[in-house]
Amino acid sequence: MNNLHQIGFSYLFLFPSLLLTGVLGIYPIGWAIWYMFYDYKGYGSASFVGLDNFERLLRDTQFWDSVVNTFIYAGGKLLITIPLSLVLAVILNHSFRGRSTLRAIIFLPTIISSAVMAVVFYIMFNSYNGLLNQYLLKLHLIPERIDWLGPDHAMLTAIIIAIWGAVGNYMLLFLSGLQNIPNDVYESASLDGASRWQQFWHLTVPMLGPVLQIVIMLAIINSLKGYESIMVLTDGGPIGKTEVMYLYVYKLFFPTPSASYTADQQFGYGSAVGFVTAVIVGIITLIYHLMSRRLNHLQ
Amino acid sequence: MKTTAYISTRRPSRSKSGPISAGRWGGRVLLGLFLLVTALLILFPLVVTAFGSFMTNAEISAGGKLIPAVWQFSNYQEAWVQAHFSRFLWNSVFLSAASTVGTLIVASMAAYVVDRMAFPGKVLFVGLQASTMFISIGAVVLRPQFQLMVKLHLHTTLWGVVLILINAHAYIFFILLSFLKGVSRELDEAARIDGCSNAGIYWRILLPLLRPALGVGALFTFCGAWNEYLRPLVFTLNNPELQTLTVGLSYLRYGPSAAVQTHYMFAGACLSILPLLLVYMIANKSFMQMTEGSLKG
Repeated sequence: MNNLHQIGFSYLFLFPSLLLTGVLGIYPIGWAIWYMFYDYKGYGSASFVGLDNFERLLRDTQFWDSVVNTFIYAGGKLLITIPLSLVLAVILNHSFRGRSTLRAIIFLPTIISSAVMAVVFYIMFNSYNGLLNQYLLKLHLIPERIDWLGPDHAMLTAIIIAIWGAVGNYMLLFLSGLQNIPNDVYESASLDGASRWQQFWHLTVPMLGPVLQIVIMLAIINSLKGYESIMVLTDGGPIGKTEVMYLYVYKLFFPTPSASYTADQQFGYGSAVGFVTAVIVGIITLIYHLMSRRLNHLQ
Repeated sequence: MKTTAYISTRRPSRSKSGPISAGRWGGRVLLGLFLLVTALLILFPLVVTAFGSFMTNAEISAGGKLIPAVWQFSNYQEAWVQAHFSRFLWNSVFLSAASTVGTLIVASMAAYVVDRMAFPGKVLFVGLQASTMFISIGAVVLRPQFQLMVKLHLHTTLWGVVLILINAHAYIFFILLSFLKGVSRELDEAARIDGCSNAGIYWRILLPLLRPALGVGALFTFCGAWNEYLRPLVFTLNNPELQTLTVGLSYLRYGPSAAVQTHYMFAGACLSILPLLLVYMIANKSFMQMTEGSLKG
């Protein structure tokens, strides 16, 4: 068979993939970069305004509040999720009866839609007749009803739900990393009389190092970007307490059920905000990357 | 099944053991308790949903009970008809099935030529696929995508969402590519000598050989599409009859009568979880093995 024929055939077979990526992947990003510099409401004509959108963004306290909320949400979620899933992975890496059942149970939330679960949690965490308050009151764990979705606790509730949905996923990623640690390392450590904690700190964590780094990076990116379940649970409310930055961007483009304070659609400004959020995520990822490299050198 | 029932830390264990091999009894009990509590906390919301879907609305609001007094099987019947769950379910099935088939075709065609053929720009193509997995500017892209679909008159069908979901085929492409690398080339050579065309080799030789990887890809794509919320939401803002289960359910939560539809919400949640749960139980092993790079959570 000749080469030209092969090349032609290759491009023919790549065509569906390239067409989709070009039209639905690259073009929308170009669209956003173009309209960043325009005042465009989505109807009528767009007028070029240069960097006005970015100036407005610097003054937009709602946006910066949402950035702070994003960090609280992501930080709270990761602080619990990563250690918990690591510990679970280490435990479930042993063989004992019921191990695979436990693994399956803990992984279960990963396969369930976060939007669907947000509806369920909304019913459970409801402050007046929510199941959770009733159970806690019955067990005398709380003195009075907690307003789980009120301004003081809504973020905490959102974080709890995020942890519930994420632990299994990261546990599984850590488990696949643990599979690669040879068993005899532990055996010789036991022979030397190393305690379980010593083995964990001095063997498991360092040997998981590369996997840990990649998984934590993924976790950071994902938790900064995740807003589906918050959208269904609180839609950013009450009074903007759970507004995260990607949700804020969404609202500039599409009306939400409880169309809160971003009254009209603003495509130009929304593109600018979307671009800046992506830059913020990129910067955080870069900082994390540099820091973890530093740690590698120290070891 | 082996248990890690060896006592002293001074003897090498022969089980797969990390730092926590059996210590004192107290430690083991604590560990067991910790695992039990974790499992219960994970299961609790799901159990509440399952039982709640058989209660009356009054029973749920009165609360404090886990097991329904009288099992209201009619909830499902009513949710099916009155809350339109029959339509939501059909839309979900259509969206997931079409996205899965499309993704597998597009991704396997690309993986075939990238692995088996020589052509200029191959490295560029692979780089492009990788970059689509990592570059994201959030909801911004939904707007131009939506406008495109309006121009193509696809915004009044679910096909627009299907195309957008197929567009996210990079992950499956890489799974298939790594699997193809391990498939011997002797078969395609033999087929070529027998006069089989390139397309024939793809269709008759490689696709059957790729079956296990295609199965895993199908599992991932189907679950992802089934649970997809944002894109179906955006595309059905003006077409409620296109809503999928995830979207329809979230609308119940914002509906004017949200308070009196709790039992429907539970029943709907069960309807949307059950199919995946069955698939999960059947394919548990593949789920557990193919987790590298899972991008959810």
